[in-house]
Amino acid sequence: MHSHAHSDGPPAGTRILLLLPLIASLCLDVSGGATAQEKFTLSGTIKNAENGEALIGAYVVVKELKNTGASSNAYGFFSLTIPGGHYTLLVQYLGFRVLADSIDLTRDRTFIFALTPQPITVGEVVVSGERSDKNVTSTVMSSNKLEMREVKSIPVLLGEKDILKTIQLLPGVQSAGEGNTGYYARGGGLDQNLILLDEAPIYNPSHALGYLSVFNSDAIKDVTLITGGIPAEYGGRLSSVLDIRTNDGNMKDYGASGGVGLLAARLTLQGPIVKDEGSFMISGRRTYADIFLKLSSDTTINRTSLYFYDLNAKANYTLGEKDRIYLSGYLGKDNLDYPDVIGLRWGNTTATARWNHVFGDQFFSNTTVTFSDYQYTNIVGASTSQYEITSGIKDVNGKIDLQYFMNVTSMFKFGVNAIYHTFMPGSVTAGPTSSANSVSLEHRYALENAAYLAHEFEPLPGFKINYGLRASMFSLMGPGHTLTYDEYGDIIDTAGFGSGKVIKTYASFEPRFSATYLIDEVSSVKGSYTRTAQYLHLLSNSTTANPSDLWVPSSNNVKPQYADQVAVGYYRNFAENEFESSVELYYKNMMNLIDYKNGADLQINPTVESLLVSGRGWSYGAEFLIRKRAGRLSGWVGYTWSKTQEQFPLINRGAVFPARQDRTHDISVVTIYDLSATWNFSAVWVYNTGNAVTFPAGNYWIDNRLVPYYTERNGYRMPAYHRLDLSATWKLGERSNLNFSIYNAYDRMNAYAIYFRQNRTDPTKTEAVQITLFPIIPSITYNFNY
Amino acid sequence: MSSSFSRHSRAAKLAAAALALAAFSCQRVISVDLNNANPQMVTEAIVTDQPGPYTVSLSTSGNYFTPSLYFPPVTHAFVTIADNLGVTDTLKEILPGTYHTSVLHGGAGRTYNLRVVAEGKEYDAISTMPPRVPIDTLVALHSRESDGDQVYNLYVIFKDPPEPGNYYRMKLRVSVPISPDSIDGRRYHLYNDKLTNGNEAAVRIRMRNYFQPGDTVWVDLLSIDKTSYDYFNTLNNVLTSDRSPTSLAPANPNTNLTNGALGYFAAFSVDSKMIILQ
Repeated sequence: MHSHAHSDGPPAGTRILLLLPLIASLCLDVSGGATAQEKFTLSGTIKNAENGEALIGAYVVVKELKNTGASSNAYGFFSLTIPGGHYTLLVQYLGFRVLADSIDLTRDRTFIFALTPQPITVGEVVVSGERSDKNVTSTVMSSNKLEMREVKSIPVLLGEKDILKTIQLLPGVQSAGEGNTGYYARGGGLDQNLILLDEAPIYNPSHALGYLSVFNSDAIKDVTLITGGIPAEYGGRLSSVLDIRTNDGNMKDYGASGGVGLLAARLTLQGPIVKDEGSFMISGRRTYADIFLKLSSDTTINRTSLYFYDLNAKANYTLGEKDRIYLSGYLGKDNLDYPDVIGLRWGNTTATARWNHVFGDQFFSNTTVTFSDYQYTNIVGASTSQYEITSGIKDVNGKIDLQYFMNVTSMFKFGVNAIYHTFMPGSVTAGPTSSANSVSLEHRYALENAAYLAHEFEPLPGFKINYGLRASMFSLMGPGHTLTYDEYGDIIDTAGFGSGKVIKTYASFEPRFSATYLIDEVSSVKGSYTRTAQYLHLLSNSTTANPSDLWVPSSNNVKPQYADQVAVGYYRNFAENEFESSVELYYKNMMNLIDYKNGADLQINPTVESLLVSGRGWSYGAEFLIRKRAGRLSGWVGYTWSKTQEQFPLINRGAVFPARQDRTHDISVVTIYDLSATWNFSAVWVYNTGNAVTFPAGNYWIDNRLVPYYTERNGYRMPAYHRLDLSATWKLGERSNLNFSIYNAYDRMNAYAIYFRQNRTDPTKTEAVQITLFPIIPSITYNFNY
Repeated sequence: MSSSFSRHSRAAKLAAAALALAAFSCQRVISVDLNNANPQMVTEAIVTDQPGPYTVSLSTSGNYFTPSLYFPPVTHAFVTIADNLGVTDTLKEILPGTYHTSVLHGGAGRTYNLRVVAEGKEYDAISTMPPRVPIDTLVALHSRESDGDQVYNLYVIFKDPPEPGNYYRMKLRVSVPISPDSIDGRRYHLYNDKLTNGNEAAVRIRMRNYFQPGDTVWVDLLSIDKTSYDYFNTLNNVLTSDRSPTSLAPANPNTNLTNGALGYFAAFSVDSKMIILQ
């Protein structure tokens, strides 16, 4: 379906306004039908009894009404409208004791349910009621929620827990490279992942040149990854959504927790502002290797710096039963200096303000204002001739999301969103004695608007449909100039636009649809179709996450990217929901993908758009998952078979070639075992087909140098990649633990890169050389919690 | 990417490898099965502002792992170079695959047309010779790296002309052999004025380990046109791919030759200076 419209049409706001009455009228229709007799609403929040944290995705089940229940949203809110009567409610959440409560529903009622965490004790029989069959019954598919308990148990490189590395173990997600935080979702590019931290987009999620993510696991409460059937409330990226929510902070007591690893030290403080009404959380992390560099007597080494830090802070306050406000912020910075060679600084800053309000008992609203900023600075040259190159992107984002819980079989979600983007494509700041000249490329401005509506309902018992539409619009705004190029990339026209003038507008209708049919109590089939649009593009001269990566807007020369994805799946739970299993098949078609002309100069280049080439890509595959969430032994086995190809008229002579991330087989085995109250073990094994790579098919002499000759893009394969990681956690009493981990336990010499060179001793000979990044690496981390 | 910038961006990747990973990473020679492409014609052709004759070399590509000192020359080709003043020089084959001009005099500001007819195919290329930019000074500073390596930092200092769009290649002529495996042996030293137009340029060339005090180094500063710069810059990318293992898919250098030929045709002016290392 190609419903998107390209137009120079009316300014951005007009169409959104046209759409709003449509949404409003839909709402009126349904609320008319909702006022049935004898029905009452029970609503409220579900919390952790120990610290008051809202629980996301907890479940309220009405025992007397078969298949009737509600789950809590991202703020712990739930609402359920059922006929009046006497009921037993079961409130359940994974890892918590089931709460049973008898109620008389003779009027609308509000509850706060507080669940107590279930300690892991040896030999305990797990109550079957705590396991949810949501994975089978909900319309959500191609989605995975990570338990922070799992993230904290799974071994990672140098003991630094990292959610971006943990999600790479899920089916449909592929790592961008050894130890790298970049990932591909179902064959999509590195820039096609929407990464949200408390609803603020993160434009560069990596520290330390991509080896660690900017997300400090200590500060994180909930992580959800969606690679298909993306709901209408998310937009702006083609391939996936990673929705990360930070801890609200302990409502009951003050606490401090933290740890010291080989790379970084962490500290988190939290506590009530007013007991049970408001709380705060502040969490920091910093690497400390540079402290040792300072001790060196070598002047080059002690002026070298290599560190990063990040800081998460959050506060929330409950204003009565109906309102709650949240303020949260993130600040992270990397610094890499090697005197006279390089000086790099980069970092993200985000701020989020949210206001939850409940209208009546059935209407939940969240109003959010976020700010995101990514800045990159490269200090070039030495002493007086030095100059700085900077680039970045800045967003101000406002949105209103509403959820209307009409009745047990019908729920609406709708909202509006407006983002004002400021792109800083690059500037050079030079002093009077610098070898460079100060120059600043024109900033670019864009307004990205969207409105959405989704309706989930159950037309027949056991058959659920979620249909929705996201209407999005992107307008490149003045002040600024546009350049028009001929086929050789030479400028043929220039046009200037004043402040606030619309340069170019793109609008898209993005239908989102998913349906679930329950075959029986434990199994279901699901299907989904989604269209997604992406108006921002990442220019990168690297295949991994890199600080110099540059975000650019769609323009008169660069079209938005579009994707259509169809997925179907079969879901079955075994042993009273103890085991979850699923098979999903997907096909995704991607249009207007971006690549570069050979040797494209992406930095400080006012004509960079002339160096981009446009093409298409498609990916299809089958994903298998068996997962056990609870019990002493937990974990999952995932297997993905997939194929991803691309075609660009100006690359590879127009022939189809496998995408770099085309990996036929991808296997992850994750096991976590609680041996006793003091010992916990975990192991991860991964296997994947090697990347598609370009190798030479010949060589020739130029200027006494043997030069490789290439005939086809990505015509070869790297060797298969596999690795085993092990981890053991030893509890030193109630409040602290020691974690031992081994990365690459059987010391597999995986190929990070293969390059070709002339032989050292005989320059007439050539050879292939494999670079292995990480052999076996043990590490140790100390964690505490007071 | 401007040379100064790309060098730093490459340095960033190098530092990524060096600082974060050097402690762990390792390299080894492996065996890889490669396809064999059909032989392609390879052209190396230059015109300079120095007295001729100017040379055009024609050879063919070979299989990647077949060791060879040289690949078969292309003989009996019809090679001409014409300038925009109406002079056309038909080159003579003085050795198999090596062709010389006889009447052409290279001069700055002129545009040259190369035409090669060989084995039933015709190849063309155009290059314009920029004005000569003189080297003001050469400075060589000796230092010791933290890993113990002896390094000479050679600074080539010259004044970039006021109009934008100058491209340079620096060529070292030394008495000491530089290993073809070393980065210095393979990489072309390039510079452009994208960020530094009209300023005094001090381009650093790091020379590791190969030199002793008293050694002589000649530096040629070649003023090249944009297409030649683009060629050498993209050639650098494939010659130094080991330094940036995460760079995008390698591709054949961007050549100014038509019809799928490999190699380049460059018209350039040259200024040379000598320094004795202290």
